[in-house]
Amino acid sequence: MAWLRVRRGVAENPPPPLRHNLRMADTQDGDLMALIERIAAQDQAALKTLYDLTSGKLYGLALRVLRRNEWAEDALQDTFLQIWRTAPDYRASLSPPMAWLGLIVRSRSLDQLRRHKAEREHLTDEIDDAMSDTLEGDSPNPMDTSLASQQAWALHQCLSQLENKQREVVSLAYLRDLSHGELAQQLQLPLGTVKTWIRRGLDQLRSCMARFA
Amino acid sequence: MKLQRHPELLDRLAAAHALGTLRGGARRRFETLAREEPVVRAAALIWQGRVASMNELQTPKAPAGAVWTRIDNLVRADQDSQAMAMARSAPPTQEPANGWWRSLVLWRGASAAGALATVLAVVTAVGLRDQLGAEIGALQAQLATVPTVEYVAVLNDDSASPSMLVTFDPNNRKLTLQRVGNFQESADKSLQLWALPPTGGPRSLGVLSQERLLKLAAVEGDVREVPTLAISLEPKGGVPSETGPTGPVLFKGALIQKML
Repeated sequence: MAWLRVRRGVAENPPPPLRHNLRMADTQDGDLMALIERIAAQDQAALKTLYDLTSGKLYGLALRVLRRNEWAEDALQDTFLQIWRTAPDYRASLSPPMAWLGLIVRSRSLDQLRRHKAEREHLTDEIDDAMSDTLEGDSPNPMDTSLASQQAWALHQCLSQLENKQREVVSLAYLRDLSHGELAQQLQLPLGTVKTWIRRGLDQLRSCMARFA
Repeated sequence: MKLQRHPELLDRLAAAHALGTLRGGARRRFETLAREEPVVRAAALIWQGRVASMNELQTPKAPAGAVWTRIDNLVRADQDSQAMAMARSAPPTQEPANGWWRSLVLWRGASAAGALATVLAVVTAVGLRDQLGAEIGALQAQLATVPTVEYVAVLNDDSASPSMLVTFDPNNRKLTLQRVGNFQESADKSLQLWALPPTGGPRSLGVLSQERLLKLAAVEGDVREVPTLAISLEPKGGVPSETGPTGPVLFKGALIQKML
């Protein structure tokens, strides 16, 4: 049982206290799934309710990928338009609702990133500025588990065990779809350093996630 | 090499693939294997799900209020255009209400006759150019030189005299109305323009102001496949589209799509 293994994993390697209430998560998922089903039937009020419940979380993700309010707002707009049009496909995805919504936000955000590639120089500067704090400081980049699915909760536990700079590099590689070379360039780190951090970070993640499998 | 016999390596490749840091030839080889070998595919999918849950861990922030307004507008536009497409393909369901105005037979007959009448009216207008003044001539010259005008109607009064020239420009989504007769409604009345589609009741296209030349916003869906336009005399400010015209019809005529 996944739930028992979660408990055992926690005991072997004590992370922060387990606050995640699985039953609450199930109820949330049920509510969100019911909303998506109503949206599939062209219920505009359901779209508004879904927006009220999730837009903060989804906007936070778009902002992390794009860093600019106006781009993140465009990505959020594209996201909800896509939800409106593709809600009938949700059920077949077999995903927890927030995982499905998160994937849409990330793809629409990466679309925006590509669209603004001409302004990439500017973007790089901003990322460098924003990143130098995160990578040099000791404060962990805050992670947020509100609305998170059970699997996201597991990833959160495992990411928490990484060093801050490793967690940051691993996260950005995925969220902004960056290669080793692009990461090294954007973070102004030697390529070898980036590769090492990612390899070690992934190795640790693999052994940690294996306990949740 | 059989990747499925090396679970440690498979796990590492699948994790790097999901993170996006496996690139180039290594990525292509891994994806080829994943398509061929279910074990490799399963490992890739498991890691895709795990890594993707990073999307759910980002710090929330409230977006600006204007974002929802934009989404709401787009969704409504989306639904409107869907409804319009469905209405266009659906068979007629609505029986016209009683009364001569809503009589489908009458309007079908009128529109058939209207097509001929309009041709005659245009011919007449050309012949009577002097009497009708320079306005029509100028407008016709304008019609000939402006390629975006795709729909034209000449609305006649009951003695078959042209009273209103209507053109529709789909590019600018504007109906242009020009009064060419001498009719002037009293201050407590308004003229209202109606589309008379082949099915369903009359649909309001807008209320006319007193100017001789005026523009109304419209989209092509409002006039496409509408055989006839009509203008009725209504209380000041017009009546809602759903109620249909309440006053007498002063002018009517066929709407023709320009082929030029």
